[in-house]
Order: sequence, then structure tokens, then C-alpha cells
Amino acid sequence: MSNEENIVRQAIDGNQLAFSQIYDEYFNKVYRYIYFRVNNQAEAEDLTQEVFIKALNAIGSYKQREAPFASWLFRIAHNQVIDHVRKQTKQKRAPLEEATAVSMEDPVAITEQKTEVEELTAALKKLPPAQQEVVSLRFIAGLHIAEVAKTLGKSEGTIKALQYNGTASLRKILVQKYNG
Amino acid sequence: MFQGESIESCLRSHPKEAAELEPLLRAALGFSWRASSLQPRPEFKARVRLRLEGARLYAKQQRQPEKPGFFARRRGWAFALTAALVILLTSTSTVAASSNALPDEPLYTVKLATEQAKLTFTFSDAGKAKLHTHLAENRALEIAAMAREGKIEQAAIITEKLAEHLEEANNAIQKVEITQSEASQFRTAPEETTATPEPETTEPEETTATPEPETTEPEETTAAPEPETTEPEEATATPEPKTTKNRKAEQLRQSLEESTSRSLAALENAREQAPERAKPALQRAIDTISEKSHKKPQQEPGTETEEGKDKHNGKHEDETQPTSTEPNKNQSSSQKIKNNPKK
Repeated sequence: MSNEENIVRQAIDGNQLAFSQIYDEYFNKVYRYIYFRVNNQAEAEDLTQEVFIKALNAIGSYKQREAPFASWLFRIAHNQVIDHVRKQTKQKRAPLEEATAVSMEDPVAITEQKTEVEELTAALKKLPPAQQEVVSLRFIAGLHIAEVAKTLGKSEGTIKALQYNGTASLRKILVQKYNG
Repeated sequence: MFQGESIESCLRSHPKEAAELEPLLRAALGFSWRASSLQPRPEFKARVRLRLEGARLYAKQQRQPEKPGFFARRRGWAFALTAALVILLTSTSTVAASSNALPDEPLYTVKLATEQAKLTFTFSDAGKAKLHTHLAENRALEIAAMAREGKIEQAAIITEKLAEHLEEANNAIQKVEITQSEASQFRTAPEETTATPEPETTEPEETTATPEPETTEPEETTAAPEPETTEPEEATATPEPKTTKNRKAEQLRQSLEESTSRSLAALENAREQAPERAKPALQRAIDTISEKSHKKPQQEPGTETEEGKDKHNGKHEDETQPTSTEPNKNQSSSQKIKNNPKK
């Protein structure tokens, strides 16, 4: 049993410290993944909170044999985002104004990072939804290919192909942007 | 590569595809690096952690007393019955003393049992709304008292209870609204065409629906429908049907707003005095009140929370001064907690 499986098992048994470790390990990743999907800080915060509340309530039903924990957790996050997008009426938002979330004091550095995040978000939005999903889970949430495959219920081959195409397209979009 | 392997070693593993792979790998690493600069606000992360901890402890606490047996299937009634028995078997002085008990005191369970009994025997929606409003305020004061003493766990558990009371109060008010609008449609439908609206002399659904056992503690059972029927001059003074129709619901809502304002004021006051480590717990309680209150259309309790500001453009009405014209026992007992946090 891997260390993570062990921690998850303890969390299922109600060990507070174990759940806290899981929280520390995944909170930022889940937040980041959601942020890049919804592109709004307030919404990302609400959804992240919901994901962890759902995870806490449902952790007893998680079965380690069926999927890695990361896949199970990101499946909840993925479903939250899908539900949110479905419900959401299309309205204009101001992502840059709200997208703080950088732990830095220097305003110049903050602005630079905001711009980078914004550019990446904009580029990501240009990809087809399936590629967006895979790129977000792989590069933003940092999941393995197998975990992404389980999260999205697709084969590893499909994920690899989507990742390849997504990365190539994203690179092209960003290169084009920088070259003019 | 994301597990620490370098680009070079990745490329060495796939020499044939290296030329094609390299820019993609660098791009992927670049996305990852850029994305990692995005971090959640630390205060948000801390708040969620606290909320989860509160939810976990609350769930644990809820599970504990549940033992299999005859009563397990009828938990609500069983609890009420037990509470009634507790009240019957416990002397009146104990019950009275328990009304000021704080969560870390032995009499607190008696207090909760008494409250539960009152809730169970309050049948009208209006009564429930009043009672939940009052209980929510009590919980807020308890949170303030616990936080001042640095008892974070207790504060987190009570915050969950506070959230439940606010939700229940809102639900009950909504039911009152629905019942009243249905009743008024029913009343006015046949003859409404010409007649000017009749001032509401009676509120049938209220008066009939509440055969409260007010005998024991009339002042605490604010659930009872007493005051509304005795306001004929106010009723006659309002000529429009629309205002009279939902007057009761509006009163309840206003009462809830006033109560939440008082709760917020108490919590904010406690935040200034509480030890540093208890502040997130208080913030969480403040956020809970704001969150639950904002569900209602015209409510804007004057909160200063970031969440409130973020989501609602911070339109604050400073209603922190308790404006209640009819002081009751509830308030005075709450006041006791407020004035004497360290009992």
C-alpha cells in the first residue's frame, strides 16, 4: 500500500490528521484547476470549497481499488465545474480584476504573474473542450496520465493524444501571441 | 517529467522523437510553471479548512448519540421525548439555569434538549421562524464566548448549528410567505373585483396553526403567534392589499435581519477581543451569517467580510444597533452571555 493510499485509508477511518494531509496536498491543485476552468476567483473559491465538502461527506464511499484518490477527487471537481457551467447564465466577468491569488508583495511581480495567468487562461480557452480538460488536469493540476484517464473515464491512449494535440495547439497560440 | 525528471533525460529516453518532443515538453513545463504561480488566498484556504473541520466534528457529534434501538428509527420524536422527560425530571431551576449555559458547561445539554423540545412542539411556520431566529442569535453569542476563551473546536461546531438555524428560519419564513399568499388568493378571489382591500383583521393560518404549549415558558416560546393578532391599528392603517398580504412574513424577515445584525455585531466585537488563533473561527461564523442572510432578497447585514465584499459589492446597512422595541427574556439571556462571556 502506497503512502497516499495509507493516508486516504486513515482519512476514511476518520483520522483528522490524515484528512488534513490530503487537504494540504490537493487544495491548491484543485483550486488552480477550477480557477483555470471557470476563470473567476469568487466562483473558483466557492467551487473549491464545495469540492472539499463533498469529498469529506463522500470519502467513506471511495474505493481505492476502483481509481486513484486523485482521480476520485478531481472527478468531483470536474463534475462541480460542469454543473456550474451548465447553470451559469452567460455573463461578462472581469477575471483580471479578481484574479489576485499571488502570494507576493511586489506589485510589478503581481501584475506580471496576473498577466501570465491571464494569457494562459485565454490560450486554454481556445482549445477544444476535451483538450482543455486534459491540459488542465495534466499541467495545471499535475495529475498522471493514468489519473487523468480515470478522472475523465477515457483510455490512456486517448488522453495521450489529447495531451499531445493540446500542448501543440497551446504552444502555437502562445508563440503566435508573442511573435505579434 | 512532472515528477522531477529533466527535459534532457526525457528526450534521451526518446531519441527518435526528440526534435519534435523538445518544444512540446518545454511548452508543457512552461504552462505548468505559469499555472503554479496561481495560489488560493491563504485566508480562504484557512477558512475552508476550518469549515471542513467544523463539519467533520459536527458530523461526528451527530453520529455519536445515535444508538441502534427502538428510538433510532424515530430520532426526531425520540429526541423530543427525551428532551421532554429531561425537562420534566429536571427541576425548573435547572432548566432556567441552563438557559445561560455555554457549550463547555454541563448544563448545556439540558439547554439544547429544552430548545429541541420547544422546536418539536412549535407547529406553526411563523413560530418556527421566530424560534430558529432566536436560537441562531444564541448560537452566535455562544460562538463569541467560546472564541474569546480560545475554544476553537467548540466554536466551529456551534457555527454549523448556527448555519442550520439560519437555514431553518429562512425556510420557515418562505413557508409563511407561501401560505399567506395562498390564503389571500383564496380569500380575495371571489369578491376581489370591486372591493377595496380589506384590512387584515385576522390571520387565520397563523392563529389556527399554532396550538403551542405556551404554558411552561411563554416568553421563551417566541414561536407563539401572540403579537400579530393584536395589532389592529397597524392593519387598518395599511390600505394596500399587497403590503398586508405578506406583512407577517416581512415582520419575520425583519426580525431575522435585526437578529443577524446583532449577532454580527457581537461576533465582530468578539473578534477584537479574541486571541489571534480564534479569529478565523469567528470569521467563519461571520461569513456563515452573511452567506445565509444573503440568500434572502433584500437582506444586507452590515458585514465587512471579504467574501461579502467580493460577491455583493458591499452595500452595508449599519443595523448593528438592536432596535427591538419589545425586550424579551431571550434577549436578556443573550445579553448575559454577551456581557459575561467568561461565566
